[in-house]
This record gives sequence, C-alpha cells and structure tokens, in this order.
Amino acid sequence: MNKDAQMRAAINQKLIETGERERLKELLRAKLIECGWKDQLKAHCKEVIKEKGLEHVTVDDLVAEITPKGRETGFTMLRRLVLNSQGQAVLLPQPSRLLRL
Amino acid sequence: MPELSSGQRVGRESGRFLRCCGLTTTPPSPCVQPCCRPLCYEQSERRLHKSLQMKMEEMSLSGLDNSKLEAIAQEIYADLVEDSCLGFCFEVHRAVKCGYFFLDDTDPDSMKDFEIVDQPGLDIFGQVFNQWKSKECVCPNCSRSIAASRFAPHLEKCLGMGRNSSRIANRRIANSNNMNKSESDQEDNDDINDNDWSYGSEKKAKKRKSDKLWYLPFQNPNSPRRSKSLKHKNGELSNSDPFKYNNSTGISYETLGPEELRSLLTTQCGVISEHTKKMCTRSLRCPQHTDEQRRTVRIYFLGPSAVLPEVESSLDNDSFDMTDSQALISRLQWDGSSDLSPSDSGSSKTSENQGWGLGTNSSESRKTKKKKSHLSLVGTASGLGSNKKKKPKPPAPPTPSIYDDIN
Repeated sequence: MNKDAQMRAAINQKLIETGERERLKELLRAKLIECGWKDQLKAHCKEVIKEKGLEHVTVDDLVAEITPKGRETGFTMLRRLVLNSQGQAVLLPQPSRLLRL
Repeated sequence: MPELSSGQRVGRESGRFLRCCGLTTTPPSPCVQPCCRPLCYEQSERRLHKSLQMKMEEMSLSGLDNSKLEAIAQEIYADLVEDSCLGFCFEVHRAVKCGYFFLDDTDPDSMKDFEIVDQPGLDIFGQVFNQWKSKECVCPNCSRSIAASRFAPHLEKCLGMGRNSSRIANRRIANSNNMNKSESDQEDNDDINDNDWSYGSEKKAKKRKSDKLWYLPFQNPNSPRRSKSLKHKNGELSNSDPFKYNNSTGISYETLGPEELRSLLTTQCGVISEHTKKMCTRSLRCPQHTDEQRRTVRIYFLGPSAVLPEVESSLDNDSFDMTDSQALISRLQWDGSSDLSPSDSGSSKTSENQGWGLGTNSSESRKTKKKKSHLSLVGTASGLGSNKKKKPKPPAPPTPSIYDDIN
C-alpha cells in the first residue's frame, strides 16, 4: 500500500509540475459546462438558497449541500465524457497516457 | 514546492544556487560534504525527472496492472471534479453576497408576456405577417388614399421634398427649355435645304448634343459617334424629350408619328423590348438584337415595303465613319494646317450633303418607290462612299453629280 501511496504522490507531483493538472482542470471545467452539469448544479443551488434564505447563506452550507451532489453527477458526466461505448477514453486523456508523462 | 525524498529543497528562481543543507556559498567552490554540493534549478529538475521516471518504471515493471492505473486515474479525476465543485461553490456564494445571483431570473408575469408564440399565421412575437400591406393611408397633401408601402415615395413626390423630387424637377425644367429651343429651330430647318446642319425630324433627339457642339462646324449630326455617345448618355439625352423618351433607355413607340418612326428606324435599332414595350435606342448593329428582329419591327411599323436595316446601316456607316474620322481629325487639329481644314470641311460638307441627299432620297423611296430604286441609289451612294474612303483628299469630282441630281 505504501507503494501505491507513493505512486500516487509521485504522479500527482509530476502532474502539477508539468502543468498538466491545470490543463486538465480547465478542460474538465469546459466539458462540464458544455454538458450542462453546471446549470444543473446552479438550479440546485437556487433551491438551497431559497430554503435557507438569501441573507444567511454561508460558504460552508453551500459546500456541504452541493459538493456531494456535484461530485456524483460530475463523475457520471465524466465517465460519459471519458469513455465512449467501447470503454475507451475519448475526450479526456487515458489514464495510461496520463501516467506515462 | 515539491519535496524530494532526500529532504532537499529546490528553489524555483533561475540561476540561484541553493545549498542542500541551507548554507550558501559562492557558486563555483564546492562544499566539502557531499550533500552540500551546489544545486542549480535545472540540474535538480533533471534529477527529479530522472528519479521519478525510474520510480515509475520500477513501479510499472513491478506489476502495476491496468486496473490499478485506472483506479489512480479515477482518483485524479475525482480530485479534479471536487476542485471544480468547490470553485463553483465559491462563485455562487460570491454572487449571492454581491447580489447578482438572481439577476438572470425574471418574474413569472413578464415570462408570460414574452412567451414564444407558436400559432399559425403569426410570428414568434405574435405579430401578424403582411399586416401593413392592405392598409391604406390618406395623403395629407392631395387627399388620396395610397397603399402603405407606396406612401413614402408618393409623399416625396407629392410634397416636392427629398432628393429624387428635386432631380425630377430639374430635369423637367431642362426639358422644357430644350423643347422651346427645338421647336423654334424646326421652323428654320424646314426652309433650309442645303445646309451644314442637316436637321431632320429624327434629329430632335440629338438636338441637345448638336446645340452643345454647334461651335464645331465639322461635326456631323449624323455621325455614329453621336449616336454612340447617345447610347452612353442615354439617361441625359433621353430626358431631353420627355414625351418620347423615358428615364429608361427606350422609346415608347405609341407616341411617335410615322415620320419620326421612320427616321428613328433608319438610325436606331428599334427592336421593341418584351419587358418595357419600348424601342431599343442603340445603334443599328446593336448586339442585343438580331437583324431579324429589326426587320420584323420595321415591317410592323412601316409596312411590307420597309427597308432592311442592314443596307441602310452599311450605307450610313460608310459615310458616317468617314466624316467621323475626319471630324475627329479636324477636332484634334483645330489650330492645325490649313490643308486639312478646307478639305475636311469640303469632304464633310459633301458627305453631309450626301447624307442629306440620301436621307431625302431614301425617305422618298420609302414613300413612293420600291426597294429596287432605293437600292440603286444606295449602290451609287455606297460606291461613292467607298471611293471616298480610299481617297479622302480629292472630294471634288463626285460631288457635282450629286448636286446636279438634287437640283
């Protein structure tokens, strides 16, 4: 397990260093907006805010409410984006390619 | 800053040397301890790369299968998604606190007002198509009811304001001036037979041009150049005769009398256009219409004894070309040798007389004689004409014969 953890750490490091992580992040954001994930989440936000009342919303509240839903939906979106019907990475880089940087 | 496993820190500033153990020394001198060798950034970067690569290779060689790689990749993506979520939360929170979060919402009432309409006969705003076509407005000036789409141009003309109406008014004034002039001159021309200016009824249209150029006595009003310039300046010249010409480049033949028709047909194409029902004002050889068309037009107007345009054109063109070139020469050498001008004047005179004579003769033939007689005249004239072409200088011998004929 240590090796895995080390591996993960090393990969992360590598990603950050080369700037690939930032690029990936931007790419992901763009794709999520395109597929409407952000609008979904925004609608959810509105509901939450209306519940809580406009004046009393805090960051923590929002984060607590929205992040789980966001993560789920985001991940499903991502799966759709990354893998096509054949199970091959289409829009985002394949993991192997990612790791072979 | 990334940390190496050995605990060494790598500085990001380029060219700066950092010691592994925190001590700084001047660049070139090596430290005693092996761990305190100076490391420049590029070097350390390279080392990092190498070490990582080795590690990864190790790890991949050590049996990392695809599934593990997939798992790691998924984790990375999950991290990214979470980052995006968080970023989104911050955005929303800021929007809420700054007050612009709900700006893109509209209340349900106005939503209903501007809803997209989907009924037949209406556009998406709910407006009726063609609503203004059938509407009629009453003109405040002339109290007529005008269709809505024609209302603006009508008003322009009715009130006499606007760009177009001033143009039309100017033209009308010019035309009325010309009409006065041409009328007065017509009376004179009927009395004069032999003249430098062989005015005929067909010259009405070309009156403006001849007026302009009266100071150039060698200019033949019959010259094709004039008719060519007529073609180019059709807009201008056609307006000199508002009864016969319109703004378009054609003649409405209903208003023409038989004499004028005949004269027109001798010099111009005359084919009636299908769209405008007007006669073509281009030369007898205009490329838009065939000779057949011209023939049919002439037969239609002048009866079966109508003269073929080809003969006339060849006839006319011969004399015209000559005089044209000579007139040109005279124009160019206005102050030039005296040799040229008298001969020019002489030749032009004779040619004009020829033209005149032919004109009268041809009109007579059209009136009384058949084609043959005219053709005979034509033959002689063309023969003379061709002679003239070859020898422009001595014009004297052929002319007295013509004079005799006429007299």
